[in-house]
Amino acid sequence: MRRLLVALFMFAILSSSAFAHFGAVIPSVDIVSAGDSRTVALELKFIHPMELIYMEMAKPKEFGVSTRGKRYDLLDSLRESKREGIDPAQNFTYWLSDFTIKRPGDHTFYLVPQPYWEPAEDLFIIHYTKVTVAALGLEDSWDQPIGLETEIVPLSRPYGLWTGNLFSAQVLLKGKPVPFAEIEIEYLNESADIGEFVKPPADPFITQVIKSDGNGVFHYAMPRAGWWGFSALSEADWTLPYEGQEKNVEIGAVFWVHTRDMQ
Amino acid sequence: MIRYALKMLVFMLIAGVLFPVAGLAHKVNIFAYVEAGTVYSESYFPDGRAVINGKVLVFDSAEQLLLKGQTDKQGMFQFPVPKMDDLTLEVDAGMGHKNAFKLKKTATKE
Repeated sequence: MRRLLVALFMFAILSSSAFAHFGAVIPSVDIVSAGDSRTVALELKFIHPMELIYMEMAKPKEFGVSTRGKRYDLLDSLRESKREGIDPAQNFTYWLSDFTIKRPGDHTFYLVPQPYWEPAEDLFIIHYTKVTVAALGLEDSWDQPIGLETEIVPLSRPYGLWTGNLFSAQVLLKGKPVPFAEIEIEYLNESADIGEFVKPPADPFITQVIKSDGNGVFHYAMPRAGWWGFSALSEADWTLPYEGQEKNVEIGAVFWVHTRDMQ
Repeated sequence: MIRYALKMLVFMLIAGVLFPVAGLAHKVNIFAYVEAGTVYSESYFPDGRAVINGKVLVFDSAEQLLLKGQTDKQGMFQFPVPKMDDLTLEVDAGMGHKNAFKLKKTATKE
């Protein structure tokens, strides 16, 4: 009986899923070299990356790529797709896009989603999400902000990373560093081969939490090959209406990097 | 004599520290595309600096040299499509920094 109660208790805790939300832009490759296919397939989603729980995602407000100092709107390239949730009766929307690299240079894809209403937290969530794909040997702009309301700007080159590498970056809000920002980090469990999923032994392993220093700079060493999401959360100084009431807006700066095992 | 030996030692240590790093940081790249019958090439170092006055050699699929030229201050070198063939553009930035780019026949028709 006692064992059953413990099991029920554990199930309740683990399935309560108050873990971190992440906007995600996951490209099929993080590096395009000469001789590779120039077409990059991208998946845009709103998920709990470690637990692989999807949330419904409306068509994004903005989706584009910043390269060679210019931003290009890619909103029209998006195709709607559905994925089953943990409960197979529920389907969740996510988005797909294909992009063909035309010139060398860092390509930073960015996503500005529609505000997501989270009743459990009584607020809206907007995650400004970025990922950088390197193209044809010109490593020219991975260390530059692209001008989002809040964003993570890498201090470590965000591609060509080995498993175990330290990823360093700075959190900006309206172009200024965020002192002692809280950063949530999760592993995208889809990166693992089938049957090799990470099984977190306790809740704190699901979302890693670190703080930046007084200058918004943080560091994290990634212990496994695959995609890693970094999310720095701030509260917007503006609100959005919901059922006649003004509600707070959580704005997240999210950045994704990929690591590979040394072989 | 001892002073000379020390000087040499210091020089060798500095050179040993600097050059391997420089060799990596100066990997040269070349990229090319075709627009309206013209081949546009750009040669660059990874950090975005242009390869200035780099020699560019253009070969056909039989590795015959078709033409050669030099990059400008922006690392650019352009020329009319010389032949409907798979082309190889090779850039030589000196000091052994070379790289090549293959431009497929299908791309030369654009």
